[in-house]
Amino acid sequence: MIGASDAETLQRAKDGDGRAFERLIAPVLDPAFRLAMTMLNDRSAAEDAVQEAALKAWRKFGGFRAGSEMRPWFLAIVANECRNTRRGRWWNVLRLARAPERGAAESDVAARVDLDAALERLPPHHLLVLSLYYHLDMPISEVAKVLGCSEGAARQRVHRALAVLRPGLALEGEP
Amino acid sequence: MNPEERELRKALDARSGTPSPEFRSRLGRAFAAGRPPASWMPAVAAVAVFAVCAATIGVLVHARYVATPPRNAASGARLVTPGPTPTGLIPMPNVAWLDAPGGPVWVVVAYDHLYRSTDHGTTWDRRQLPPNTVVAPMVSAPFSFIDDMRGWVLAAGSPETQCNAQSSMVWRTLDGGAGWTALQTTGIAGAQCKDGITFVDETTGFVTAWDDNSPPTVYRTSDGGQSWTATALPNPPDFKPAQGGFELRAGWIRQFGDTLYLEASGHQEGESTDRAYVFKSLDRGASWSWMEKIPSPYVAMVTESRWLLLIAPGQSQETTNSGQQWHPYASDFNTDTPVGGPQVVFSDSLVGYAEGRAALQRTVDGGLHWERIQTPGTANSG
Repeated sequence: MIGASDAETLQRAKDGDGRAFERLIAPVLDPAFRLAMTMLNDRSAAEDAVQEAALKAWRKFGGFRAGSEMRPWFLAIVANECRNTRRGRWWNVLRLARAPERGAAESDVAARVDLDAALERLPPHHLLVLSLYYHLDMPISEVAKVLGCSEGAARQRVHRALAVLRPGLALEGEP
Repeated sequence: MNPEERELRKALDARSGTPSPEFRSRLGRAFAAGRPPASWMPAVAAVAVFAVCAATIGVLVHARYVATPPRNAASGARLVTPGPTPTGLIPMPNVAWLDAPGGPVWVVVAYDHLYRSTDHGTTWDRRQLPPNTVVAPMVSAPFSFIDDMRGWVLAAGSPETQCNAQSSMVWRTLDGGAGWTALQTTGIAGAQCKDGITFVDETTGFVTAWDDNSPPTVYRTSDGGQSWTATALPNPPDFKPAQGGFELRAGWIRQFGDTLYLEASGHQEGESTDRAYVFKSLDRGASWSWMEKIPSPYVAMVTESRWLLLIAPGQSQETTNSGQQWHPYASDFNTDTPVGGPQVVFSDSLVGYAEGRAALQRTVDGGLHWERIQTPGTANSG
């Protein structure tokens, strides 16, 4: 959440001060990039997605409400950019070229390759919720804000994504 | 946390990474350059739709109460866009759109900067897009020129969920982008996302539309863009359309002689890549018939019989019999685009242009060798 001490920076950013906006967005760039990487599994694509998201956020920052949380707001924009990227037709051309290859016959390697392949095939909305919860370690309340749904619905989406990823993969505790 | 959850975390970590200092620095420079312009397209499209409806009602009322036939209300007023303001370099462009209708080459950089070159991309002059127009990111062919003066822009609003609907309007210029006229179009439905506009001469043009749950639509005009008629694409024998993202999507349209060619592709359940096809029309686009299956939607037609699929050295392919057989092609073409795909267009059998991540390339030997050329408005000098 933007604290009172940041109120002046926030106002300057809303007024169009690029340096102020950069200061506000800097702490969320890292999780945004990690989210884009897990969603797209490609550094250049992730950079493009975060860049587009950052410029869109900058463009519409005038409408950012004081008191809102920056991280879920920005991650929702990044997630949308990643979804757009994966909808592109070129994405499918590239996916074929870098399909994971099976290496040694050891079972753990094979299992890992299977999991990687399953993640690659996972529809973006399932991958998004797993990335937010398991990779960025976001609390379910914040996951819900990124997804724009209730906490209960966010919990359900985590379970559903796990079920699609690998039937039988169970959570130890409730998210 | 159970072992499987740990495995999942490890697998997600393995896909992850951190942004490079160069990337952070580039972003910082972009923010320092000032806030990018907001897109007014949805509002402009809504106003245009309202204006067209009002004009239509007005004409009908007029026709009913006055015994004289309504004048052919063709278009809105011609608007002259204010000249370019010196704003320096475009910050961090990562996308551009190309069109090369014979001699000149046109490019839109970073959604809202239009340029024209009449010397094969060596030098560029800034032209203007229609007022308050920003190219919609998901539109694959937002503009079409037939020479160095006459062109059309397809301006699209925000798409609804699953591309159920998207407003659009068509602009036309006759003076190389100095002034634009909003055409009062009829026949283009609000349904579906609009994907591209292509004109093959001053009267015949096409707008393609798609969504995940219904067949694609190819709108055709034969009066320069005012009235449009929807045409359908037949399904190729091995393509089974289904709702939920398994429908065809029309792509590029090219003309050679009296024959028109159209690319369309779509996803089939359980397959990792799209199936792509070329369709053919012998009646100026009034009807289309399936012609050939192609290895990728990103095939570029160099001539009527010679087509290229340019990906990267060692991966490119060529056909010299209109897609019946493909063989490896030793082109040095390469692209660093991870998204959007490279656009490749040929203005004749030798000269062609490609775009990937806003970097432009040119070939003058039919696609064998490529050289980087300047992306106008940017520091990228090739």
